[in-house]
Amino acid sequence: MSERDLHSILQKLKTTHNYAESSTLLSRAKITLLKLHALTPQSTTPPTVLLAAREVFESGALLSIRAKDPDAFTRYVHQLTPFYELSSELYPSGSGNGEKNKITGLYLLLLLTQRDYAGFHTELEGLEMRASDAGSGAVEGDRYLGYPIKLERWLMEGSYDLVWKAMASGEVPSEEYSVFSEILTTTIRNEIASCSETAYPSLPISSTKNLLFLDSEGAVVQFAQSRGWVIKDGRIYFPNQSLKASVDEDGNEKEVSQMTIENTLGYARELETIV
Amino acid sequence: MPSKTPHTNGTDPVENGVNGTKDVEMKDDAPAPLKGGKGKKVKEGEEEMTVVVPPSKGSKLSAPPPKDNDGDVSMDGAEEKDGEDAGVPKVDPVVKAVADIKSNFPLLEKAVALFDARFSLRALRSISSIRKRLTPDILAQVITETYPSTSPAAKSLLNAVDRENATFSKPASNEMELDGESKTKVGKKEAKEIIPEIEIFLGILTQIYYLDNKINQKGAVFSGYLVERIHSLNRRTLDSLSARVYFYLSLFCEQMAPLPPSPSSPVVSIRPTLLSALRTAVLRKDIDTQSTVIVLLLRNYLSTSHITQADLLISHTKFPENASNNQVARYLYYLGRIRAIQLRYTEAHEHLTAATRKAPSSPSAAGFSQTATKLLLVVELLMGDIPDRATFRLASLERALQPYLLLVQAVRVGLLDEFEEAITQHSATFRRDGTYTLILRLRQNVIKTGIRMMSLSYSRISLRDICIRLKLQSEESAEYIVAKAIRDGVIEASLDREKGFMKSKEVGDVYATREPGEAFHDRIRACLALHDESVKAMRFPMNQHRLELKNAQEAREREREMAKEIQDGDLDEDDLGGEFEGM
Repeated sequence: MSERDLHSILQKLKTTHNYAESSTLLSRAKITLLKLHALTPQSTTPPTVLLAAREVFESGALLSIRAKDPDAFTRYVHQLTPFYELSSELYPSGSGNGEKNKITGLYLLLLLTQRDYAGFHTELEGLEMRASDAGSGAVEGDRYLGYPIKLERWLMEGSYDLVWKAMASGEVPSEEYSVFSEILTTTIRNEIASCSETAYPSLPISSTKNLLFLDSEGAVVQFAQSRGWVIKDGRIYFPNQSLKASVDEDGNEKEVSQMTIENTLGYARELETIV
Repeated sequence: MPSKTPHTNGTDPVENGVNGTKDVEMKDDAPAPLKGGKGKKVKEGEEEMTVVVPPSKGSKLSAPPPKDNDGDVSMDGAEEKDGEDAGVPKVDPVVKAVADIKSNFPLLEKAVALFDARFSLRALRSISSIRKRLTPDILAQVITETYPSTSPAAKSLLNAVDRENATFSKPASNEMELDGESKTKVGKKEAKEIIPEIEIFLGILTQIYYLDNKINQKGAVFSGYLVERIHSLNRRTLDSLSARVYFYLSLFCEQMAPLPPSPSSPVVSIRPTLLSALRTAVLRKDIDTQSTVIVLLLRNYLSTSHITQADLLISHTKFPENASNNQVARYLYYLGRIRAIQLRYTEAHEHLTAATRKAPSSPSAAGFSQTATKLLLVVELLMGDIPDRATFRLASLERALQPYLLLVQAVRVGLLDEFEEAITQHSATFRRDGTYTLILRLRQNVIKTGIRMMSLSYSRISLRDICIRLKLQSEESAEYIVAKAIRDGVIEASLDREKGFMKSKEVGDVYATREPGEAFHDRIRACLALHDESVKAMRFPMNQHRLELKNAQEAREREREMAKEIQDGDLDEDDLGGEFEGM
């Protein structure tokens, strides 16, 4: 097991498209890295090995995305982070940044689908900082990074139709990104559904189809049933709405008076101790 | 600091000069915009903060009444001596600086003798008045006069200030004559052994000299040596001094190339040092070092935007409760910053409000309060609140907050156009302040405010109009956005899909809700907390009660005697009255 082995494995890895084969190759590559003490970058690691290690993890990350294995992908991203944080002088010249932006973009998208907005923004903050340092221009302008950022902005302000259009038109920066489209669609559909429950008194089935980006009215009925909506005379009614409101009123009344009493007693007690 | 000028007595040109330069120097510092913008700015703020408290010393010399305003117990020898020094007209500035530095040694000795960190802190506070006058020669003179020529500590210190060949003028003789009474005192102390605290104190002065003259490389090396030295000395009385040593060590590393955002910056490499210092400090319950190092680490992580690590550090450490006010303010600021990035605005708001309130109000700490206020404003906007207009009128903040004022105006009215314009126009400023990404998140708030305004002004409005008003891309977008706003509780309204309009619900009476009660409760709670804190903050001189007890006992004894005398009939009434009055 040596550096040469590593490179030959890497070569094979790049040419195969078979998942099973690739994953065995990957685990062999990782064992080789471990033996070379290059699983995490050390100050003694030679540049060529660093580069090779980075490529192994990158292909692993992309592979796990294609295999729809988010946990493995997250793991690879975490392993890659120390490699990306090394300064570019440590790598052989001309090797560039590798797939850094693509992988980071995918990671952002993953965080978005998991609705981990805090994680998303934490990651983004770091990107902005480093980008402004390197002078490589705005992060939003990047093909890979701009995509998840745009999606997040639309999701947050509620322009779900734009998200939908972006995904439907298939203008994803690379094929790996389309893996997430399906998950995102479900996410936004649920978002819209929960918005509609409070926003509309009732909805006609025919227009709900467009609202939820569903293909047919049958699908609408199915979806409505899964969320417990009532369908009557070709219209959808949201039973939770009225229920929630009435409970709220009653509970409120009691709570307010109880709270006032508690507070006043508290003030009295405090005054006692002060005076 | 204009209020100070009248205090300085005109007969003393030296003092005047010192005060003047200080003022200018600080203003020079503040706006220096380095790359990694915010980092630098905050640092200035912090730097200044550590320096803030004592400038009153200058005025103290001439005007005794404004004594210690920070609750310290009575002043003692050192300070008085200071006054006498100033009294001597036309003192040579070098001699005066030397004397000033030396006047701190008794304080340090007292700190060791009484095991009371307050005296070391007071010595540290006097640094700011010495700071502007430091030169290698002055330092060398102090060293040579303090240490015998054989001392290894003196040798390494002299090496650090590049004055290896300075001649040792021990024992106290020539120069000392000038500062009158202090001579005998210092001289006597010197006869005993020189405590390591003095060495470290001089080390700190050397660090400051390096820092002020931007000799960062050497400063970092020397700081490393000092840290080693503190470790080998292992004395609890060094704790408050060591906190300062770490503080400057980290400042040096921050200013060395490559600058922080780059991953190969020296700040990354001092993390292990700081972490082990933190561990030791926690084990020894060394509050000063602990709080300083936690703050330094947070700052360190944020400078390379390792927010996750910073967050982990916070969750794994406990910030000491009775840390110094300035450290608490900084800690709260960083905490607020991290929470803001993590979208936990309510917490961020709480921390930042506390940070701005705890920030020293002196003009030299303006950097810190500006930075904290900027962040606070953005967080307030993100929470959907509109910051108070008065904030922007404060003299110390007005200019710095100008771009934010535009932003707030845009958000308040809900005009997307103006908002975008404000961003593009001031994007450089925002980036430098480190608020850019947060501000980008504001876009949705602008839209929400816009919708709220429309919902308030119209009882029914078509989606098309909303779309035009907000300059959205399509009516569908408008529909989804409004639906989301309704779900998030921004507005009370309902949508009609077939006819395509939004119908606002009648706004209820606010006083019928629990809101006024809650606001009232909040205020009362704040007042009560204030009361509790002020009770806790009261300090009583040690053993004072015993003195009183003794007095009381004496009085009782006298009374008993008197009673006896009365019984014996030796005393008449007048005498008795007089006695009682005397008591």
